[in-house]
Amino acid sequence: MAHYNPPTQGKVSQLIDVVVLVILTFGALFVPLWLGMAGAAKTVATADANPTWESLGQTPAQAAKYEALGYNPASAHDLILARFDYSFSAGALLTMIVVVVLYYVLILRFSESEYREVIAEKFGRE
Amino acid sequence: MTDIDITSKTMDGMGPHGTKVGLLRVLGPAHVWALGVGIVLVGEYMGWNFAVGKGGAYAALIACWFAGILYSCVAMIDSEVTSTVASAGGQYTQAKHIIGPLMAFNVGLYLVFAYTMLEAANAITAGYLFSVVATMSGHATDLDQRPFIILVIMFLAWLNYRGVLATLTFNLVITAIAFLAILILFLSTSGIVGGGIMEHAALFEGHELPYGWIGVLAAMHFGLWYYLGIEGTTQAAEEVRSPARALPFGTLAGIMTLLIAATLTWYVSTGVLPWEFLGDGVNGSVAPLFDTARLSGSTGLVWLLGFGTLFATLASANGCINDASRAWFAMGRDKYLPSWFGAVHPKYRTPYRSIVFLVPIALIFALGAPLDQVITFSILSGLLGYTFMPLNIILFRRKWPLNSIKRGYEHPFHPLPAITLLALCGVTYFAVFLGYGTQLVAMIGFYIVVSLWFHFWRYRFVNRGAQFTMPWPKPQGY
Amino acid sequence: MNLWNFMEYAAWGVSALLGLHMLVDWLKTDSTYSEEVLTSSREGELEALAEEHKG
Repeated sequence: MAHYNPPTQGKVSQLIDVVVLVILTFGALFVPLWLGMAGAAKTVATADANPTWESLGQTPAQAAKYEALGYNPASAHDLILARFDYSFSAGALLTMIVVVVLYYVLILRFSESEYREVIAEKFGRE
Repeated sequence: MTDIDITSKTMDGMGPHGTKVGLLRVLGPAHVWALGVGIVLVGEYMGWNFAVGKGGAYAALIACWFAGILYSCVAMIDSEVTSTVASAGGQYTQAKHIIGPLMAFNVGLYLVFAYTMLEAANAITAGYLFSVVATMSGHATDLDQRPFIILVIMFLAWLNYRGVLATLTFNLVITAIAFLAILILFLSTSGIVGGGIMEHAALFEGHELPYGWIGVLAAMHFGLWYYLGIEGTTQAAEEVRSPARALPFGTLAGIMTLLIAATLTWYVSTGVLPWEFLGDGVNGSVAPLFDTARLSGSTGLVWLLGFGTLFATLASANGCINDASRAWFAMGRDKYLPSWFGAVHPKYRTPYRSIVFLVPIALIFALGAPLDQVITFSILSGLLGYTFMPLNIILFRRKWPLNSIKRGYEHPFHPLPAITLLALCGVTYFAVFLGYGTQLVAMIGFYIVVSLWFHFWRYRFVNRGAQFTMPWPKPQGY
Repeated sequence: MNLWNFMEYAAWGVSALLGLHMLVDWLKTDSTYSEEVLTSSREGELEALAEEHKG
């Protein structure tokens, strides 16, 4: 196949490429943050108005450790009772699987066509 | 091939006749170990304990060992490919030769993001440590952490700028101290030397698996943290004296060190700290090994683990700057990114423009984004990279079977490690989905957009045949 | 001014100095050497090196 000669890239064009890439990067991190969709927070399901170590489900040995760390039942209340919510919908799971698989299929297909070009130029056709 | 002198001071042994200004071949296997373990060991000092919060202490141990299997597969696969494709850029160059340019571009970005984000997270932690020390030494008002965060990044970038040998020798020393600190903490609290303070049975009572088995799955997300970054050893390939031997050796020694350190860390921390406290890395135990030392009642241990934590964050940030800049540099050299980044400093022999360019980016993330977001971005980029590795090794063995090219190391039981790795990656995607599904989709959205940008615009500036630089025969099936 | 206030200023100062050093050296290097020399690095050939060890 014919040898491919890439165009030389000017300084301004190089700069624009870097700026584009940086903007996309910051976008990917900060947009979910701004939209408030990020993160998995723990929440306390049922608060305990007058917590004691027993009502928080702590044995004396466990309570002793909390006291050594400088906690009392009231200050340890949120720390001990907060839980993650692992419930999810099948639709969301399916979306994620589709997105991940699509992404890899896309990359592998484009890569393959580019790779064939590279090999053809490097080794020539047989 | 006698015109290559890999010890030459003026020629670097790169390319058929060497080039005048390339990276310097000065590193040994110990530096490779220090680069790999140095980046990761901070995961033992902070962060892994989120896995306890996700599913309880036992879940964290199961995640620790399954992630250990995942990373053993990563280390074996990486060692085989890298002992053949030894080039700055590591997995990026592997992908370029084995799968194709677009995959390589994506892998290069995974590397740069995983490491730059981890660097930012380390700087944030170091700043936090300074404020803790200030409070402990009686400083009344809150310390301004910003100058310390900036100092950490600036100092390590400067060290990297000045030369790779000093950078990684520094890493070797502080990593060794941080690892020894874990060993000493284990020996002096477990009852092997002196009285033990471990109370596993009493602390686990009633809290064996607080979320049930789904908690074990969820813990896999942060189970990666025990080892995240060990694959970075390959980035040193162009600076190691004999890459075909030193890289597999340093990488495999590194993963063994980490398996030991991770299990010991889990053992001492869960034996002293209640799981709810240990598992909350924000409001509870930010630095679990340091907290364990505090409860041991020994001032010496508190100081040792305090310094261990600081050294681990520094070693990690240091290795991250090293790796991210090598990957960025390698992409610039191939014109995947503007060729301006492909420059090497004539005196210090470092990719100086890449190092300087990544400094402000790391600073913006360290000063402007919350820690768990930065870390999730890092883990996700790492995970995408691990998913690429099994595809990589399967295609590598298919296109160049064992007898077709020489390998410095051949990993056993192929394709079992590749399939195991792929399966564990699937489990981890699910674990990430349970907590951070939106980020996962947002980030893959980002990679899809940049992939299209690369394929339809950026790739026109890249030489086609010339980017295939390995002296390999034509791949089978082409 | 106590020790930690002093440390804060020192950290700002040292950071600025290190940054300045990199910046000055970078500009000096770019103006001293030609772009061809700076970007002359090429990807490695490991097999060639391994053979040299044996031979």
